[in-house]
Amino acid sequence: MAEKHVLLVEDNPDDEALTLRALKKAHILNPVIVVRDGAEAVEYLLGSGRHAGRDPEDTPQVILLDLNLPLLGGLDVLKKIRADAHAKLLPVVVLTSSKEEEDLVASYSLGANSYVRKPVDFAEFAEAVRKLGLFWLLVNESPPPLRGGGS
Amino acid sequence: MSDEQNEGIGPESFFEKLLNATPDAIVIVDAEGRIRIANDQAIALFGYGREEMIGQVVEMLIPERFRGAHPGHRGGYSTGARARPMGRSGMSLFGLRKDGSEFPAAISLSPAQMREGSWAITAVRDVSQEVAQEAALRRANETAIAANRELEAFSYSVAHDLRSPLRSIDGFSQALLEDYTDKLDGDGKDYLNRVRAAAQRMARLIDDLLSLSRVTRSELHRSRVDLSEIAREILAGLRRGHADREVSVIVHDGLVADADARLIGVALENLLANAWKFTSRKNGATIEVGSAVVNGQRAFFVRDDGAGFDMTYANKLFTAFQRLHAKAEFDGTGIGLATVQRIVLRHGGRVWAEGAVDRGATFWFTLPAS
Repeated sequence: MAEKHVLLVEDNPDDEALTLRALKKAHILNPVIVVRDGAEAVEYLLGSGRHAGRDPEDTPQVILLDLNLPLLGGLDVLKKIRADAHAKLLPVVVLTSSKEEEDLVASYSLGANSYVRKPVDFAEFAEAVRKLGLFWLLVNESPPPLRGGGS
Repeated sequence: MSDEQNEGIGPESFFEKLLNATPDAIVIVDAEGRIRIANDQAIALFGYGREEMIGQVVEMLIPERFRGAHPGHRGGYSTGARARPMGRSGMSLFGLRKDGSEFPAAISLSPAQMREGSWAITAVRDVSQEVAQEAALRRANETAIAANRELEAFSYSVAHDLRSPLRSIDGFSQALLEDYTDKLDGDGKDYLNRVRAAAQRMARLIDDLLSLSRVTRSELHRSRVDLSEIAREILAGLRRGHADREVSVIVHDGLVADADARLIGVALENLLANAWKFTSRKNGATIEVGSAVVNGQRAFFVRDDGAGFDMTYANKLFTAFQRLHAKAEFDGTGIGLATVQRIVLRHGGRVWAEGAVDRGATFWFTLPAS
């Protein structure tokens, strides 16, 4: 995948549809890969399991990560990302319902680059997604690709 | 006058009076471990007659399962020969009554070196009540901890799970309004807007409830807090958000308290947002933040000259979900003042309100130093 792509980790189909709608409304046309549980997110990034054969060096530009996920929770996904040779520097934006202090502390402690609470008001939600897309896909400079085998 | 007063009592009678004057049971044991003296309280506590106790080995007062080791301890004690308390400090000791029942006991031993060897003066106190109270306290504490943990888990899932369906309701209503606008007439759009407003209102309710429960859950971190400064910041924020409003603001200097800065901020935010809201129908309203001495105690106040309220309902103000105004008149969730009350109570303070319809309201609170 040559084009800069976004990895959306989201198990709620409504939130998935609303996030995709918001991205489209913001004219962000980059491909969005959607994975629906935490384990699949890790498999996608590592090129294993359900994504066996995928090139793990083809990393997404940004990962939008929900916290409440089946199989593997968002915080565990974050832990695995930060421990992986290819993925450890990837920008991860936690995109979730709560702003409970424990979630904020845990997310940043584990190396989240940003934490955004999904607003209930769709107009606000769309605006948040638009800004996120703009910043992480256009403004922000990505980390250089890490070749496999690194410690 | 009685004979006794005429003659006075001898040292032996005095000793006996002294022995019976203490609230504890006292048993005096000789070097062979035989009971020589027992006071009235010992007789009452163990349920034996005096003649049944005197001359018997002291082990009769100890439950059988502890007896084996006792003569050995006794020996060690008479050679160690120092006064010391037993029980209480972690070790549980028990006494055995004549009827076979046991009681938890605090025991203190004092040696007395007699001509015929080392005696032990043993004071025994039945601590059943203290032990029961401690157990009840421990149970209550465990229950409270469990309840708090449950509240934590509950709040967490409310924060996560209750909001996301609301996002769907609001989001897809908005999608209908945007994508199907040509198929909807005025009524249809109005209905969808009502659906959205309701979803957003419920989201606000959830947020307010979470913040109310956070006030209960979070620990209190006291420090020197400048309420004047916090109030000025909050009011500046309200002004920025409502540039069209003309409100005179008076904040007295030096409103300082020993309190939790974050929680006091939440309380002032609620009180000032209320004052701001309930003066919205008045031109040139005034909001004042200050303090005064009430019943010998310093009390802080937030005063406005807005819509006020009927003092008949003053006691309802601080109850969650109680509102004294129709939503169409002044919007709100009815949780703000309940949050204020809880914050003030957590500081050991008091909160009350004074007001009259159309003549403003004053909210008072105290923050006693810990």
